[in-house]
Amino acid sequence: MKTASTCLVVHDADMLQVEEKDELYRMLELEAKGHDAAVLKSYEWFVTTAAREFDIKIGKCWALRKPVFNRMTLLKSVHIYKKHRVQYEIRTHYRFMQFHQLTGSTADTFLEYVQRNLPEGIGLKVTRVLARSLPSHLVPPS
Amino acid sequence: ILYENILSSCFSEYAVAWWLYCWQASFRIANGGRCLHTSACCHKVQAGRYRPSPRGDRPLTYEMANPPHYIASRKSWNSWNTTSLEGGLRPADTAIEDIFIRRFMTGTWHSLFVSEVIIKRQHNIIRIAGIVRQAVSARKMYFLIGYCEELLSYWLQCPVKLELQSVAEKEDVVF
Repeated sequence: MKTASTCLVVHDADMLQVEEKDELYRMLELEAKGHDAAVLKSYEWFVTTAAREFDIKIGKCWALRKPVFNRMTLLKSVHIYKKHRVQYEIRTHYRFMQFHQLTGSTADTFLEYVQRNLPEGIGLKVTRVLARSLPSHLVPPS
Repeated sequence: ILYENILSSCFSEYAVAWWLYCWQASFRIANGGRCLHTSACCHKVQAGRYRPSPRGDRPLTYEMANPPHYIASRKSWNSWNTTSLEGGLRPADTAIEDIFIRRFMTGTWHSLFVSEVIIKRQHNIIRIAGIVRQAVSARKMYFLIGYCEELLSYWLQCPVKLELQSVAEKEDVVF
């Protein structure tokens, strides 16, 4: 029979003095895709307004000129009639937004706000570019 | 449509044409100007279209009045999700869930829905919207809203929220 044992976790006093350094992001890219271009445009306005409130440097914001088409040519009838077809297409519109020079905490807060208010039918992909200092074993040539 | 093939095997072309003309004329007299269109298979598109009534007084909502080729310009979709985007996940499961939700809603709110059931998916939440007519008291509506939300969230294993709007009569929704 097992008996429950409680273990005490003692935090070392030294651990509390170590500051957790915030990560720095050189660039943050948001890629939004959806079926409706108008919804994407309004979402871009929302995101850039929020970035301005956070004092984030807004980089290039652009959209593809045409959507990506997925076309299907299918038979119109259930049985025979090969000459009569019907065509369907699914359009995916894209919108890209770039933000530069963010701290980790700013980026986390901003992204959480933006993702919570993501409209239905819009997919978001976030790409972060970290800025790290060179490792100590790599020394530049003298 | 097939009568041509059957008759042409027995009679000459002219006899067939004359027979068809007489047959159609009989319909024209009987049905007040309407006749059958007999020709080779036309396969006209009939999906999502309502035939205009003779006096033009058929009550149609905005959604019913616009045929499906207006979908991205005058109409928008009934279910909003990311399944059919490039790289979208679980399209089939979502479609079946949508069918189930629509049948459940139209069945629970029996002949009360005046518009289509609109389903929006955001993260984990499913939001169901629509226009309902005020044929039952508000108390019963609140009960039905709670009942639908509870049962659907148990069935679909995610939070479900109902955002319904009500309208006094069905005529208020006619376009």
